[in-house]
Amino acid sequence: MLFGRTKKNPVNLPTKPVERWETVTCGYCSTGCSIDVGLDAEGMPVSCRGNAEADVNRGKLCLKGIFEFDIFRAPGRGTKVLERDHIREPWRESTWDSALDRLYSEIRRIQKKYGRDAFAIISTGQMLTEEFYTLGKLTRGLIGTNNYDGNTTLCMASAVSGYKRSFGSDGPPGCYEDFEHTDYLIAWGSNMPEQHPVMYWRLKDAHERRGFPIVAVDPRVTMMAQNASLHLPIRPGTDVPLMNAMMHVIFAEGLEDAEYIEKNCTGLEALKEEVAKWTPDRASQITGIHPDTIVTVARAFARAKAAMQVWTMGINQSTHGSDGVVGINNLALITGNVGKPGGAPLSITGQCNAMGTREWSGTSGLPNFRYLENEQDRKEVAEFWGIDEEFLPRKRGLTQTDIYKAMEAGEIKGLWLIATNPLTSLPDTSKVRRAMEQLEFCCVQDSYVDAESVQYAHVYLPGGTWAEKDGVMTNTERRVNRVKPIVTPPGDAKPDLWIFNRVAERFNRERNRPVKFPETAGEIFEEMRQLSKGRLADYSGMDHELIEKHKGIQWPYTIEQRERGETPPKGGVRLYTEPATFRHPDGRAKLIPLPWEDNNEHPDEEYPFWLNTGRLVEHWHGRTKTGKVANNNKFSPIPFIEINPDAARDLGIRHGEYVRLVSRRGDAIVMAIPTGRVPYDMVFLPFHFHNAANRLTLGLLDPHSRQPAYKQQACRIERIEDQEHAARLCKEMRTF
Amino acid sequence: MPGLVPGIQGNGLLSVLPWIAGTSPAMTKKGNTPEVHCRTNVNAGEREQTMFNRREYEPEYALLRNREPERKTNQWGKEIETAPEGSPLREEPFIVNGDEPGHNMRNPQRYKQHGFYFNADNCIGCHACETACAEKNQTPPHLNFRSVGIVECGTYPAYRRLNISMACNHCDDPVCLKGCPTRAYTKFAEYGAVLQDPDICFGCGYCTWVCPYNAPQLDPVAGHVSKCNMCVDRLEVGLKPACVAACLGNALDFGVIEDIPDNRVQAELSIPGFPDPNITHPNIRFQQMKTLEREVKRVDSMPVRYHLNEDKGRYLPEVDEDKLPEKAWNLKKLLTSHEMAHVAFTLSIQAVLGAFVLLVLGRWAGFTPIAGIAGSAAGKWLPWLMVAIAAFGLFKLNMHLGRPHRFYRGFYNLRLSPVSREIAGVSAFFAGLMGYAFFNLFDNAFTNALRELSAVLALAGTGFGGYYMYRLYRIKARPYWDHWHTGVAFLSTGLAGGVVLLALAALIGSVYTTTLGQLTGWLVAAALAAEAAALFLQWRRQHKASSEAAVSWMFMTRSYGHTFTLRLALMAAAFATALLLGLTGWPAALIPLALALFVEKLLGRALFFAVVVPTTMPGAYFWKNPGFIEHAREVGLADNPMVGVAHERHHPFRVGELIKTIRETTWAEKWDQFKRIFTG
Repeated sequence: MLFGRTKKNPVNLPTKPVERWETVTCGYCSTGCSIDVGLDAEGMPVSCRGNAEADVNRGKLCLKGIFEFDIFRAPGRGTKVLERDHIREPWRESTWDSALDRLYSEIRRIQKKYGRDAFAIISTGQMLTEEFYTLGKLTRGLIGTNNYDGNTTLCMASAVSGYKRSFGSDGPPGCYEDFEHTDYLIAWGSNMPEQHPVMYWRLKDAHERRGFPIVAVDPRVTMMAQNASLHLPIRPGTDVPLMNAMMHVIFAEGLEDAEYIEKNCTGLEALKEEVAKWTPDRASQITGIHPDTIVTVARAFARAKAAMQVWTMGINQSTHGSDGVVGINNLALITGNVGKPGGAPLSITGQCNAMGTREWSGTSGLPNFRYLENEQDRKEVAEFWGIDEEFLPRKRGLTQTDIYKAMEAGEIKGLWLIATNPLTSLPDTSKVRRAMEQLEFCCVQDSYVDAESVQYAHVYLPGGTWAEKDGVMTNTERRVNRVKPIVTPPGDAKPDLWIFNRVAERFNRERNRPVKFPETAGEIFEEMRQLSKGRLADYSGMDHELIEKHKGIQWPYTIEQRERGETPPKGGVRLYTEPATFRHPDGRAKLIPLPWEDNNEHPDEEYPFWLNTGRLVEHWHGRTKTGKVANNNKFSPIPFIEINPDAARDLGIRHGEYVRLVSRRGDAIVMAIPTGRVPYDMVFLPFHFHNAANRLTLGLLDPHSRQPAYKQQACRIERIEDQEHAARLCKEMRTF
Repeated sequence: MPGLVPGIQGNGLLSVLPWIAGTSPAMTKKGNTPEVHCRTNVNAGEREQTMFNRREYEPEYALLRNREPERKTNQWGKEIETAPEGSPLREEPFIVNGDEPGHNMRNPQRYKQHGFYFNADNCIGCHACETACAEKNQTPPHLNFRSVGIVECGTYPAYRRLNISMACNHCDDPVCLKGCPTRAYTKFAEYGAVLQDPDICFGCGYCTWVCPYNAPQLDPVAGHVSKCNMCVDRLEVGLKPACVAACLGNALDFGVIEDIPDNRVQAELSIPGFPDPNITHPNIRFQQMKTLEREVKRVDSMPVRYHLNEDKGRYLPEVDEDKLPEKAWNLKKLLTSHEMAHVAFTLSIQAVLGAFVLLVLGRWAGFTPIAGIAGSAAGKWLPWLMVAIAAFGLFKLNMHLGRPHRFYRGFYNLRLSPVSREIAGVSAFFAGLMGYAFFNLFDNAFTNALRELSAVLALAGTGFGGYYMYRLYRIKARPYWDHWHTGVAFLSTGLAGGVVLLALAALIGSVYTTTLGQLTGWLVAAALAAEAAALFLQWRRQHKASSEAAVSWMFMTRSYGHTFTLRLALMAAAFATALLLGLTGWPAALIPLALALFVEKLLGRALFFAVVVPTTMPGAYFWKNPGFIEHAREVGLADNPMVGVAHERHHPFRVGELIKTIRETTWAEKWDQFKRIFTG
């Protein structure tokens, strides 16, 4: 059947000129996939493939990872140091020395004039752990501002806060291997196929082999919800009542694991007292979930041999984010589902190294989950760094969200923004602009010069990105993974570590006894090892070579394990596996009652729609990366809303038309895509696009974590008569 | 490591191929073919491999299954084995990127039809397959060999979305291969892969018309087609295609056709949203067991939904009233489209064919009003006018190609392609016409004989080319065209256009007679009546049919509603004028008739191309959404290459490339090429 011709022509397929493959860890989400990057003869990255030997991804990659080699040469990379005197002036090219001297002198000037904390530093979850550690040391040890935070406040703060409240420390107790052991899985506000596609594949693969019920709690019919055994289409912001009602059923029917609670928990009576008020009927009125469904899920969850809960921003980004996490922990604790195979409350982290900053950056305290509020912790760290203990504040300063409020109020006059872009990522863009306009000095350090926040900078420092740098990152399952510099940053751009060390040099000049800032990531890792000994996040058995060899090592991996000759396990490392080993002083986890009060902005006559925001699989955060990779960006190049077809028909909105969304904060022009994925009174708007979602969001803050509620607010939808004009505006607002 | 097949250190690729474990990795040489080695080497340090660089460790899910299928024939009754043991086809080298594994290293299933397996319940629409394909095949962002389309059904929260990942189905009946005039396609005995060579293709895009799955991709920038190549380079080293290995939902699989993957139970031939598999017998099998609603809708701009037909047990397409466009003129869009080249070509060539046939037959029959023209001064320049009009049409047709300088390849697939036959026929006609026009300038026995010979050639070309000009539009994947009305419309244009052309020439040449006028009137009236009747019958059959043709009629009466009304009015006006001319023969009626007829034919033919709705894969929201692509081009979003939409563009006639090809092709090769027009 050689059909079509009698002469067989040779077949020529495209090939890539890969000379060598280098293995690094993906720089997008927190799954922590191992990527082989193919480099050509000139050392340019031309290909990516999933590393098949890494336990995390077992050869798979999502569409962002597959084209990650494209980001090195993407447009918009900063290649020059830039300076200007005023934000209205054009940029002039500058030198590292001039810009860093200015950064140093401006920090000190503002601190002298307005007080130590009048200069704020905001970083990210995107850098490498050694960089976070160095920045923390620089900020806490030399600069001395307490208004230091990361953009992780926008994604993981509620998980951190909830873990701390329940278990006494941050640190997700589960691992991916739990998918292979669990008998029941609840996904709270987590659309894994879109947010963590490779992690979803691990779940799917395990599910296809064993089969177990999956419950998706989500107000939208996401792919996760559609593929789950049971979808609970919950009313936005009402997860806590649902959790309370589930606990109500568990206690009422005696399904709790009394022995586990007895050995591991405190606060049972107060919890029982609170949940006694939360009958399924009452919760049903609030959540919109059928009371019988609540009972069914609660029973099945409690009866499962091992039950797992995963969650993402659906829980964290709400006014009850921290409470939601505590509720999940409560459910896990009363059913004994912590620290056992298949039983875990596993927060799925957002950014590639959100865990690294949680562990080491010292934004919310001191390295390795040490607290500023704890004298012993302060002393240990001060001694180790060789600084005066008194220099360290005794209480945590402001979070990123509160720093912006303080900037608006004129309390903070200077800002150093590192690898984050609040102009796209913080709620209520117009307030963000107003806050940044008031700054006396702003330095933006970013690998992209076209990140919108650079508009408000006086100094721009071009940073390196991803595999232009050396160090480690920690993923969702606490696996420390390697990233190596396989490409040099373009032009004058430098790795962030280099920048921090040069800044540290300048501050060190003030001191008689300079603080040591090692130059290489390997030496810094050595410091971290020492600081981690005996801590929860114990790195002491690891080093860069060993991590690389094993394609990541989960913490804890102690020096004792290493000396015993224990090879790091492939996976399956969990926390709190032994009784009463939680991190509260008594070793017990706290069961915390969660009274609930609805404080969200609700749809009303004027603004009749819920505005829900979230992620798309093809984009990463503010699109500075994926907006420039055509094979990612093309799947959604402009902002759009999912709108219920009946609502669209009633408003006279046609498929693919532009509409104007209006909230009490501002407006945005987006394309309307009618789909039954969302209820009649809700629109879903992806947050990735500048000048879209966050012009509208309210961002009420969680009282514990200070994380904004991005997913629950009201808006109205206006038809646009002049579609051509709308198209023009939409196009102009997409510089990438 | 679970799920991985350990390699044997040091021996490289050969030892890790699942089917040759334990055998000697010796190379083979073959008698009359160049020495072929499988030089693939897992040691990336030495870049010797030209096939596919298989890693020392490949995960289980990426490995091709090596198992004998239970069935000998597929569900359509066709042999799964493509070339039996001992067939000479097995001896011919299958060289991929200059490389071929030796006999004992070959996939034992190599000579069986392979295909994709798609578990629609599992697809999460994560685009990993599409992107892995783009990464491997280095396709530009505005096209891809694989894409995920979406259909959805139900109301919140009882809503379900069905993602359909689709590439080429390497069909049993590859309509692309049969349609391609340049013979750029081959269906190989190896894996049954249908491969297309962009270096042969001249970018006419006919394969993109006939394929129901949107598999061939016409690149508006590069000017040629390319498509899924089954990753035969990966298959040869024991790996499944890149898209399959990349799948994050465990939805996509690949193997010998009808060999259902483990943990799967169905081998369905279709799922909702998938075009009728009867058209091409595609080599894809499906599993789709989760309950869907009676109606599923496309999410792209196309107003198509699929409705469950209980009798046929399939979802059939129909008009989605939720996306009905406004009634409009849309004249600009209509008259500036890429398809205007076809409008110009078909109209001009049909009018000239008609005029020539009437002229020659009229003269031969001694029918005075026409023979009078032939014998007059007008008889000398009229054939040249015809040459000019036909040349204009041919020029427009050729210049719409993505590679116009490769025009000569249009005949290559004479054995299978109606396009090749049309081109051959029209070329014969044009040659005959030119001969006729030339020899008609003289008047002696010798030139007269040559003139008549030319006329015979032209008439033969008319019959052959004219028939295939019609046949080539009878495309099952374009149901609006796939109706006999198409033939009537073409005949009507030829007849009416031809006779009016003759009458006008007679008027200008002062040999106009009332009889000629009356003949013109009756012929035009008859042609218009026939076409109107055919159009009506087509409408009656199609406008409510379970077919994309119904959507075409909706576009006709809404998107182009006013234009269509104008066309019908012009038809009526032309018919009335023609009747008047038929009854009276008044020359004054001829001019308005010609004008009305011209505009009517222009609009009618433009509509014919504009409203056709292919039976094809559903698209998505932005990428692969025809509405968004059009919008992005219109408002300039397409200027940004990151949007993944390329502007249509004109492709120059590269004389240099043509001369280079002529120079570099030896006479022996040219002769071979010529022979293969007839042998395949």
